[in-house]
Formats: sequence, C-alpha cells, structure tokens
Amino acid sequence: MYIHNDIDDDMKFLAKSEIRLKILNELYKKPNDVRGLVKQTDITYSSVSSNVIKLEKNNHIKKVKNTYYVNPMTEVYLKTLMDFKNSVQMVNEYESFWDKHDLNQLSINSIRRITDLKDSELIETTPIDIYKTHNTIKNQISFSNCVKGVFPYLHPDYPGLIEEVLENEGSVELIVSKSIFKELMLRINNKIRKNAIKEHKLKVYRFKKDLNLYLTICDESMSLGLFKTDGSFDQNRILISDNPKSYDWAKDLFEHVKNEVRA
Amino acid sequence: MTSAEIKQGLTEEFSGIKYILTSGMRSRLLLAIYESPKNLEELRAELKKPSATILHGLKELENINLVRKVQKSYELTSNGFLLTVNMIKLIDNWYSISKSKIFWNNHDLSGIPDELLKDIYLLKDAEYIHSTTSDLSNAFNTYINLLSTSEELKIIMPIYSENHLKHLIKLLNRKRLVKLELLVSEEIYDSIKENDLFNKKIIQNKKVQIKCVKEELKIFLTYCDEFVSLSLFFKDGHYDDSQILIAKDENALKWAISIDKIYKQKEEKYVKLQTGSSNYNEHLEH
Repeated sequence: MYIHNDIDDDMKFLAKSEIRLKILNELYKKPNDVRGLVKQTDITYSSVSSNVIKLEKNNHIKKVKNTYYVNPMTEVYLKTLMDFKNSVQMVNEYESFWDKHDLNQLSINSIRRITDLKDSELIETTPIDIYKTHNTIKNQISFSNCVKGVFPYLHPDYPGLIEEVLENEGSVELIVSKSIFKELMLRINNKIRKNAIKEHKLKVYRFKKDLNLYLTICDESMSLGLFKTDGSFDQNRILISDNPKSYDWAKDLFEHVKNEVRA
Repeated sequence: MTSAEIKQGLTEEFSGIKYILTSGMRSRLLLAIYESPKNLEELRAELKKPSATILHGLKELENINLVRKVQKSYELTSNGFLLTVNMIKLIDNWYSISKSKIFWNNHDLSGIPDELLKDIYLLKDAEYIHSTTSDLSNAFNTYINLLSTSEELKIIMPIYSENHLKHLIKLLNRKRLVKLELLVSEEIYDSIKENDLFNKKIIQNKKVQIKCVKEELKIFLTYCDEFVSLSLFFKDGHYDDSQILIAKDENALKWAISIDKIYKQKEEKYVKLQTGSSNYNEHLEH
C-alpha cells in the first residue's frame, strides 16, 4: 500500500501544524473572521492570520464577506483526522491493556472502530483486590437479564451465574472454546439447562479453533479481556463500558466471532 | 494562558498524529510492515531508501513501541497494529474523498451522519457520474437505468420529483421490482399523497412501504443488492440532480445500510406506515 502524493501533501500540510488544526476545528464549529478566531483560540493575531491565508490558499477554507468557512471536503478530512487522533489516544490511554496482547481475534472492523470504546474504564487488579476484574464481571452478569459472552476459560462461578440468569427468566448466548464446552454444560444444573435449551433461552456455541478473547455483553454494559502474546489469559485487566457505542461495538464483535463458529 | 502555554497545549494535543503523519518514512514503514514482517533488505527494496534512513525510521518506531525486532525481522507491536489499521482507514478515507473531490466539495454534507462520514472509505470504489453540457440528463439517466435492474429497492428520498416517481411507478408495474421501501419527510409524503396518481400507484401499492421522518432530509440514497447511489444538495439548499456517486461493491452497500439504519431510528417518534390500500394505518408512536 502506498499513499497518493496529493493525499500525502494534504495530510502533511494539515497534520504538521497544530494551529491550523485548531483553526479548522473552530471554523467547523462556527464560521468566523480572523479577530473572532483570535478571541476563540487565544492564539496571536499574526499566527492566526498567516495560517488562515495558508488554509485558504490550499482550498481548505473559503472567505465569504470577511467570514471564513471550512470547505465540505476539508470538513470530512478534519473529522477523519480527529477520528484518527482519537484512535491514537485510545491506544495510548489504555496502553497496558493492548500492549503485548493478542489482537488476532478482534475483527478488522472492530479495530477500525476502536474509538467507540473511548469512554471505557480499565479495571485492573491490585495487590489488595486481586479478584477485582472477576468480581466486576460477576456483578455485571448477576444483574442482567440477557447475557452474551465469549468465554475462553471456565471459571467455577460461571455455571452458577448462568443458572441465576436463566432462573430469572433471562437468556444466555455463549461462544466457548471446545475444551470447556462439555465441562460447562455438565456443571449447569441439568433441569435448568434442558428447559432453557428447549425454550431457546440458552444457546452455547463451540469454537473449534483457539479462543483468544474474552467478551461479555450484559443488559447495558460490556467487558473485554485479552490474551497476552505469550498465550496466557490476562486476568489482571479488563475494559468495561456502559456507553451505547461500546455496547454496539461489543455486539458486532460477538456476531463476528459467532460467524467464525459457523465458518 | 500565555501564547507559549497555548502552543505547548496544542502540541501535546496533536503530538500523536503529527509524529506519524508528517514523516513519510515512518508512515511508509508502518504500512510496509503491516503487510507482513520484513527484514532490512526487504524494506530497502520496497521503500527504495538507503539502510541508514530505514534503520533510523525503525529505531524511532521501536522507541515509541510501534515496531519490534524479532530475530532479523521487523514486525508491528499490538499498539503498532492498532494504529496502522486506523492509519490505513484514514488514508482510505482521504483517498475516497479526493477521488470524487468535486462531488464532496460542492455539496451540503449535513445529511450524512458523522459516524458515516468517518467511514467514507467504504465508498472508495464509487464512481462519480455527472451531467455535461452535451448531456444534461446523464446523472439522472444513469440512475434510472440502474433502478431497472433491481428487485428490491430502498430509497431515502428528500425531494418530490414527478420524474422520479413516474419512473418508480413504471418499475412497480413490472414484475421485476417486488419491493420498494421509501423513507421520506412528512412534507414529501403529503405532496405524494396529494397527487391522485402517486397516491394510488405508490402510496396504495402493496409492493411499497413508506416511512416518514419529521425532519427535512438532505440526502438522496438508493440501494439494493446490485448498487448504491448517492446524491446531495448544494450548500444553498437546492437539490443537485447533475452529480451522483454510484458504487456496486459490498463495502458501499454496508455504508448505505448503516445510513438507512440511523435514519430509521429517527423515524421512531412519528411513523406513518402503509402496507397497501387495504391496510393503511397512520399512527403516532411515543
């Protein structure tokens, strides 16, 4: 893959100057003249003025009766650039969560939409609360009516939690690794399990390949856990969120993994 | 705040993107290694740069934990992978826009939800069709020809156009088109309803389902399994029937479905639904 020259030039021209980006952001929010921009940004008049001229010369803004407007194409450039900026922030802000972790089971689309996880909270265990991540997940599941999950391992609490949801007339849809499928099914109370399957309230899919991802989607929240690149599950970190965008992100990822089961 | 402090704040805010996007070498290295891990020789051959330049760029990327060296090969770290996927999305977004520069720069984009503007890369294979002085109806005719190939059509229609509606009636009279889903504003709906012919042949047609939104629509989107077409309004508020984007790939279809989904969520508050003359219902949903 290569970058077309004109895109490369435009990208460099905009990304090179924080002042130009700031001016564009301000003009996108509200068309303005140079004085108004100086007031909005607190940047010096000479700096605003010279960058406004450069932006106009490069067809990013247009002057109509002393007021500058962002050209529609540049509006999209700016939005996508800010989206990229947010994705860089997402990577940096949760560096310990991503770094040296296996991302192969995330779909390309979920990585492209990583900014949907923007307001997530990174839960990490501490020496005085080594079960913090597990207890967080446990709480999410306990209070839910509808649970979807990708479970690469079997925690002794899971069968009980699943029974709890099913007994409260809820539904559970799981994708589990081949190695734990049988054990999980056996550990769920026989009667509850059979009834739930019959009523289509319990669906469990067996993932044939290695499952390197942990995901739960409860009524209004999601949690995500990753494996380290050495192949072990990182029990010390999960990303949780009750933001609708993160929730949709998790649902799409769940569907992606489910499609892999069928493939 | 002093101007130095303001500049420092801005520098910090944009440092992440500036570091990657302003260096041709750093961004090209990330793209090259994203395709597959590569050793120095392979990178030198691909990027056509001397070893010293490449090694310098690699060192910089290693220092910020985007690239790592495993034996003799360079590969992306998890962070590098996340960032490169998103950089490719950005490049594709910009490519998609610059490919149809005139189209995007001439129109009011407010009808396209922000989430979908960020995914404009999905339209990168779209073709820009425009009318010319020697063929004033080129865009419209291309659109009409495409319509005739479809069995199920979904249209977000922001205008009341007798030309368009008459063509839709023609298609509905044929067997090929089995379903037409129209999303219109209340105002357009009322105009269609007021016309006897359109009321009878479209609103009361069992093949047609019409949904209404209260707001004025600013996007003309048509999609089916075979194609996606998009036309927009000028900034001055007039509809532009001389320029159209047409795509026939799966990505564009994904984009269109996402737009349609967002608009249909808007329709929740007030819905006028009809499913044929004998089963007309008009109701408010709270």
